[in-house]
Amino acid sequence: MEASNVPALRQQGAVTAPSAGPKSGEYLTFRLGSEEYGIDILKVQEIRSYEAPTRIANAPDFIKGVVNLRGVIVPIVDLRLKLGCPSAEYNSFTVVIVLNVKNRVVGAVVDSVSDVLELSRDAIKPAPELSTSSVDTSFITGIGSVADRMLILMDIEGLMSSAEMGLMDAAVAA
Amino acid sequence: MGDMTTEGASISAGIDLSQFYQVFFEEAGENLDNMEQLLLNVNVEAADDEELNAIFRCAHSIKGGAATFGFSDVAELTHQMETLLDKLRRHELQPNAAMVDVLLQSGDALRAQLGRHQGSGAAPVDTTELLTRIKAFVEGGAAPAAAAPAPAPVSAPAPAPAAVTTGTRLLELQVGPLADMSLADNLVELFKEITDLGTIEPLDAGQGSDGMRRFKVLTSSTDNDLLDLFTFHVAREQVKLMPLGPGFGFHEGAPGAPPAEPPSNDPGYGFFDNAPGVPAGVAPAVEAEVKPAAAIVPARPATPAKTEAKPAGGGMDQTTLRVSIEKVDQLINLVGELVITQAMLAQNSRELDPALYQQLTSGLADLERNTRDLQESVMSIRMIPMSTVFNRFPRMLRDLAAKLGKKVELVTQGEATELDKSLVEKITDPLTHLVRNSCDHGIEMPEDRLARGKPEQGTITLVASHQGGSIVIEVRDDGRGLNRDKLIKKAREKGIDAPDTMTDAECWNLIFAPGFSTADVVTDVSGRGVGMDVVKKNITSLGGTVEIDSAEGYGMKVSVRLPLTLAIMDGMSVGVGDECYILPLSSVVESFQVQADTIKTVAGSGRVVEVRDEYMPVIEMEKVFDVPRFDFEHVSSIMVVVEAEGGRVALLVDELLGQQQVVVKNLEANYRKVNDVSGATIMGDGRVALILDVGSLVRRSRH
Amino acid sequence: MHSILAVDDSASMRQMVAFTLKNAGFNVVEAVDGQDAWEKSGQRDFDLVLTDQNMPRMDGISLTKKLRENPKFKSTPILILTTESSDTMKQAGRAAGATGWLVKPFDPAKLIEVIGKVIR
Repeated sequence: MEASNVPALRQQGAVTAPSAGPKSGEYLTFRLGSEEYGIDILKVQEIRSYEAPTRIANAPDFIKGVVNLRGVIVPIVDLRLKLGCPSAEYNSFTVVIVLNVKNRVVGAVVDSVSDVLELSRDAIKPAPELSTSSVDTSFITGIGSVADRMLILMDIEGLMSSAEMGLMDAAVAA
Repeated sequence: MGDMTTEGASISAGIDLSQFYQVFFEEAGENLDNMEQLLLNVNVEAADDEELNAIFRCAHSIKGGAATFGFSDVAELTHQMETLLDKLRRHELQPNAAMVDVLLQSGDALRAQLGRHQGSGAAPVDTTELLTRIKAFVEGGAAPAAAAPAPAPVSAPAPAPAAVTTGTRLLELQVGPLADMSLADNLVELFKEITDLGTIEPLDAGQGSDGMRRFKVLTSSTDNDLLDLFTFHVAREQVKLMPLGPGFGFHEGAPGAPPAEPPSNDPGYGFFDNAPGVPAGVAPAVEAEVKPAAAIVPARPATPAKTEAKPAGGGMDQTTLRVSIEKVDQLINLVGELVITQAMLAQNSRELDPALYQQLTSGLADLERNTRDLQESVMSIRMIPMSTVFNRFPRMLRDLAAKLGKKVELVTQGEATELDKSLVEKITDPLTHLVRNSCDHGIEMPEDRLARGKPEQGTITLVASHQGGSIVIEVRDDGRGLNRDKLIKKAREKGIDAPDTMTDAECWNLIFAPGFSTADVVTDVSGRGVGMDVVKKNITSLGGTVEIDSAEGYGMKVSVRLPLTLAIMDGMSVGVGDECYILPLSSVVESFQVQADTIKTVAGSGRVVEVRDEYMPVIEMEKVFDVPRFDFEHVSSIMVVVEAEGGRVALLVDELLGQQQVVVKNLEANYRKVNDVSGATIMGDGRVALILDVGSLVRRSRH
Repeated sequence: MHSILAVDDSASMRQMVAFTLKNAGFNVVEAVDGQDAWEKSGQRDFDLVLTDQNMPRMDGISLTKKLRENPKFKSTPILILTTESSDTMKQAGRAAGATGWLVKPFDPAKLIEVIGKVIR
């Protein structure tokens, strides 16, 4: 089981642009199906390759179970299943993004991780009403453009702590 | 009153005093605990001298440290308490319940003040009322009612001894010889009436001798201004102001005393008369002849005070060690990791041929033994006696009973029973609620009790004991008990199914339903109905259980059962399909093989299996946990009988995998509560296995 | 190096005093009350005894009396700490044979100053 460090990833070709403004910052980008997403790098603890979690009975299908992360029990959510992607394979490219949100550690399975980008205010536009992804639009904070890539920027903390995700009790998520 | 400084003293002689704060805070905390215990035990009719001395020393000790380290608000309050306690120990005043109350409340205020200095962020503590009440006792007046508003709060507080700020001076005021000593009190009144005059405090413990009185005055007024005011009450020649002594001195001619410094002709410094800024009265403070005075209170030597709970000097005791909690937790974690690693080694070496690898296998066996011993040893570090939990109840009960007008006695047993520190913190709230409940709803008013032929005073008993792998805590009262009809009626009102045929046990369990309370009048204590369900939830989240037993008219008993430690457990692993689940070994009764046809279905009760002459409910793990089955020929054929909450159930599994020690990890830290699962652990292969909640499984089978 | 026996039932005070004195180059033996101090008094030769007054088991004045009965401590400087410059306390200290007193609270600088007068 390998883990790669976010700092190392950061050093690889981070595209820098002068940063200013509230939503600008560093984003980790990853793929779900045919779409590319971006999330706040500060919520990312590490990236690991996928290993089959211990199943938890009667949990929704997108909660795969729990894994051991250096002695800590961490739940794993398959974002492809949650967001209704057409396929969800588990192969050598499949990656788990370990997130630190609302003081908890949770893992999200994605198809692959791309890179870390710095997005300036100019590169971010508000999300259009009609979204091509199935993420509840309330968790989309904008659309980022870099070169000819279109990134769907997501409030990963909000999404992971939402009631529909079912990871946390309402009291915690507040 | 302005905010008394929240900062302490700083640097002197190149030494930063803040390095001693933590020790002071801990020590003050212990002194406060000690003082509270002593005050609660004090027999107002016949107070023991040694007890009073001990209480005095607690306040005195806190005051000394607070003054030294610059916590002037704490110093002021303890100074006043000390004044009262001093009079009490000298038998100049008789103790009474109201004094004990004000001292207890002052102890609470001190805790708040100290908490604030430690950064609790709370609002400043207003001690005006407490100080007024204490002063009233000290001056021998009748105890004002606790709720009496403080009279004109211009009364100057006793100054922090170290707080001489620029522009103020510390002076000694000598008054006399006076024929009428009360004239000196008039001078004291001046300081109360006139704002900004300064503060005044007796140096002679309030007792003059030969008609002379001595006071310490902190003021920014000039000597002449002061003298002008004083001469309203006493003659000019009867008042003398001089700079206060240097705070030390030597007895002339005493062994080891330095030679007296002769008044020097050239002291190396001097002042010009009437020049700006010259302090009045610059005579170096050579101590005047010490006057004979009343005998001081001798501290009784040798006989250890029977009420002395523990020595205040923590770090010096050779038999104990102060260690920070973080270090202990770190140690526990590391040992936990060691247990996991050892388990992994044990697993990986199972395949090895013992003959070929004899040294290795025997080494691993030693390792297993050593690890187990180490782990037991380390876990015992965190075990602390139940008395730490029980100790808060006498005070709480006293206040509560008084508030409700009831007479209640608290009896405790098994205080020495030990439990893990993490449990202590979590059990305190639920137990507190249970005790309050007993006092509020259980114990009847004194008249009612007498009318029923019961002693006027009710008794609440707390008992702690070890039973098997658990700790059992009981809260018993001899009050009115639960009324079955009332409970059933209330349940039905809330839409809860409560058939007349329900057993008593089931009926008592109704009070655990959310929002349930049969109190006629909701007191602010525990009648809101939010209590018992939260209590139960708290306890089950600790892996424990709660049971109620009651006899109407006689009383009620609540039994809380908790695992001895949360962190490490002996487990039995069982296989279902490709999955592995862990059962607490302490709950496993037996296991046996079954044929599929021995499992019967009984209408209304589900699946059962015959065990000896009994039919026991069966839980089919594959079904309950929805375990995927790939090999349809393989059928579960092993029954594991487990027991919890007074019931037994047989779990149907594929195979028994083994027994090992497991480190219990919390699932809820990063996820949420999962039904029938009490936690998780990491197996030798690094994978997570779920630990089954046997109590929950037993309950499931009861429906 | 001079040795001082520092007696106080309050750990924070003891630590402060011990630290201050050690910083100033003295060797310090700590005791938690009069009884403990009495038992430790035989450990070595002391150049000064600094003791609190209010302590459990044996207070400062009783300790002073007891020490003075021991020829070894006949002329050792003994200073008693009191929280007020109270006449009664001073007088009792003198009667017990104390060398002098020091008023609490004091700061480290004052402690060094006073000790400087008594230990050459």
